[in-house]
Amino acid sequence: MLLEMRDIRKSFTAGPVLHGVDFSVEAGEIHALIGHNGAGKSTLMKTLAGNFADYSGQIVIEGRDCVLHTPAEALGQGVAIIYQDFALVPDLSVAANIALGREPKGAFPGLMPHRALRTRSAREAALLGIDLPMDTPIRRLGVAAQQLTEIVRACSQDVRILVMDEPTARLAPAERAHLFAVMRRMGRERGVGIIYISHFLDEVRDIADRVTVMRDGRVVETNAASRYTVDDLAQLLVGHTDIVLDQAPDRRVAKQKPLGPTMLELDQLAVAGRPGVTLSVAAGEIVGLAGLVGSGRTRLARAMVGDVVSEGVLRVDGRAVTRRSPQRSAAAGLVMVPEDRKISGLALAASIEANMEATALGTSLSRMGIVRRARQRQVVDGLIRSFRIHPPVREKPVGTLSGGNAQKVLLARAVAARPRAMILDQPTAGVDIGAKAELHKLIVLAAAEGAAVVLISDDLDEILGLADRVVVMTEGVAGPPIARADLDRAKLLSAISRVSQTAA
Amino acid sequence: MASVTVERSGVLGTMRAAWAAMGNFALLGIFVGLLVVFSLTVPHFATLANLSNVLQRNSIIGIVACGMLLMIILAGFDLSVGAVGAMSSVVAAALIVHVSMVAGIAAGLVLGLIVGLFNGFCIAKIGINAFVATLATQVLVTGFLFVATAAQPVYGVPEAFTFVGLGKIGPLPVPTLIFAVVAVLIWALLRFTTFGHYIYIVGGNRTAARLAGINVDRVTIATYGIGGLLAGVAGIVLLGETTIGQPASATDWPLSAIAAVVVGGVPLSGGVGRVGGAVLGTLLLGIIANALNLLGISPFWQPAVTGAVILVAVGLDSYQRRQRERR
Repeated sequence: MLLEMRDIRKSFTAGPVLHGVDFSVEAGEIHALIGHNGAGKSTLMKTLAGNFADYSGQIVIEGRDCVLHTPAEALGQGVAIIYQDFALVPDLSVAANIALGREPKGAFPGLMPHRALRTRSAREAALLGIDLPMDTPIRRLGVAAQQLTEIVRACSQDVRILVMDEPTARLAPAERAHLFAVMRRMGRERGVGIIYISHFLDEVRDIADRVTVMRDGRVVETNAASRYTVDDLAQLLVGHTDIVLDQAPDRRVAKQKPLGPTMLELDQLAVAGRPGVTLSVAAGEIVGLAGLVGSGRTRLARAMVGDVVSEGVLRVDGRAVTRRSPQRSAAAGLVMVPEDRKISGLALAASIEANMEATALGTSLSRMGIVRRARQRQVVDGLIRSFRIHPPVREKPVGTLSGGNAQKVLLARAVAARPRAMILDQPTAGVDIGAKAELHKLIVLAAAEGAAVVLISDDLDEILGLADRVVVMTEGVAGPPIARADLDRAKLLSAISRVSQTAA
Repeated sequence: MASVTVERSGVLGTMRAAWAAMGNFALLGIFVGLLVVFSLTVPHFATLANLSNVLQRNSIIGIVACGMLLMIILAGFDLSVGAVGAMSSVVAAALIVHVSMVAGIAAGLVLGLIVGLFNGFCIAKIGINAFVATLATQVLVTGFLFVATAAQPVYGVPEAFTFVGLGKIGPLPVPTLIFAVVAVLIWALLRFTTFGHYIYIVGGNRTAARLAGINVDRVTIATYGIGGLLAGVAGIVLLGETTIGQPASATDWPLSAIAAVVVGGVPLSGGVGRVGGAVLGTLLLGIIANALNLLGISPFWQPAVTGAVILVAVGLDSYQRRQRERR
């Protein structure tokens, strides 16, 4: 056995994440590791890569008992990890990136022997059967080539165990096939054990020798991949209890109201090169947009509000929004809660007040460019109170709030504009359970007040708990809307986890 | 037990609030403290004539700093304000001599506005980084100015015009009144107008502002336009002080104005800042320079002291911020 991890436990301040995990990899094997977000697979792999000095349990590599408390120790034992967002230097050439940190020594100390570096890197790539433009800066290459660069770099460091975190999420089919060929070759010819994390269940079945399924910090099962169907795997990931948590008790109450007229309408809305999406959302309705990272959900959402150029027609309350831009969308009553509040959602240094009023200021909170101060105070204070934002202080910089409160400010910004339609991109990502439940209530409330809501989420329970209908996106293609009643977790998971819609 | 905890958190809360309030007023405290110390220790400092002199000398930088403040809240700055000020004073001088006073003042202001809008256009629409765009404009404007004047000062502005730069209404110098009006206008702009509120959001996070439906480009262009306009105002006041349109003047404005704003507790990272900070920063640097002067310390020491003040003021602020973030 190349790698054996026995009874691995790891806790964070919030509580234990790994509850005694056993995991093994044989030489030359491709071992898929699957599980939901939060199942513990990333923590397990980070432990293996030497990110934690406080794990407990035993790690045995090629019969040697190893202590992996630092990344350097892990690398010393031949463990390398390729993260989703690569650790490459964009402006250096492929050859330099392959040699990063272990550049060859030249005749003169301190001078870089460019030619020696280039030949060595090219040789290392050739050994793996990988063809890369050695002199091109990484910046100018696609995701696939960057990935291959990472692989060559890892393998040239005499790696025995290679961890790949969702390596195919952003690759085209042909690039995937090439990557798989490289992976198989590394296994066969070099005896490298590959641990492969993926959400694409059909792909897992095709490429992996064995599969380990994790759930809630434990291993559910490890078995030969050929013994499973995609639906089996989906069922294992979900667990046997297929009861969606009743996260929004108000939902049913709200549900009893009949849906209103169509509020948001997409007619063949197409982002460059992708097929058009047609969808209508009624006032008071929540449509879930499910799909894996990279499936094109966010791009579609950005296209709807006009941040990304798109073709086709989008109507809000029956009126087409022409020359779409976030500004014109907001004026028409279509607003967005962007994903990643820190990067594209909030101005962290600015106050709660400034963030909250940002969208509404242009319409209801001002007259001829002058802020209607009394009204603005009333709206902001009202939202701080009804959203229970803590601390309830208008002037507080948003950057000092907890994730849940910051996310509430972002949702309040959308609600303050009294929108006809809202697009929520991951509105509860990275917030604690309490805040999540509150946010769910607020979303339901906003819909009940007559907004059409499009909800993008990685959290299947969130989609199933809130949405009336669900649209599944795979590779930029949106499937037909499915009524909530026709879905359960396993069905939804199995639908989003296929590489393309045709396979479903 | 519960009540004890509540009470303690209440006390702690109050203490924390007091500390935060002190943070807000720390600058004011330092300023007042320095005023008192200088009044007691520096001869002739606490005289009406001297204080009026301090105000008069620092008003020009104060006017420029008010514009700079807007651009710094927008997470940018403007290195061309000096060149714009010199241009405005030279053009105004030429037109006052050859055409009329009104035409001269108007031309100086409009030119300042145009260069500012051009800066904003380069930054917002073309996407040039603020440092590079305004540095280029500064060099460009200075170049044009030297070509147009053959590097010769423009003389002949009538003595009456010095009212703008050296005149007094009661004990208050006219430039200081202009500075005060500008500061109040900028305060009102930031507080009462949608445009002012937008500056904070755009400066805090451009992407977020765009996705929230704000016309980021328009806000950027208008902000730099105001910055240029105020540099033009400062140029006219400068002309009032010297009566000479000097193409090589005002080169120290950009950095002095940035220093004043930064000492006023406004971080260059954008999204925050108040007019009070810019005004206090200007005056703080002003009284320190004045005290050194009165104490007979060589004026060569002045830049060194200014540098030290910037490092100490900003260092304290940044350190405090870091401590707060760790908590």
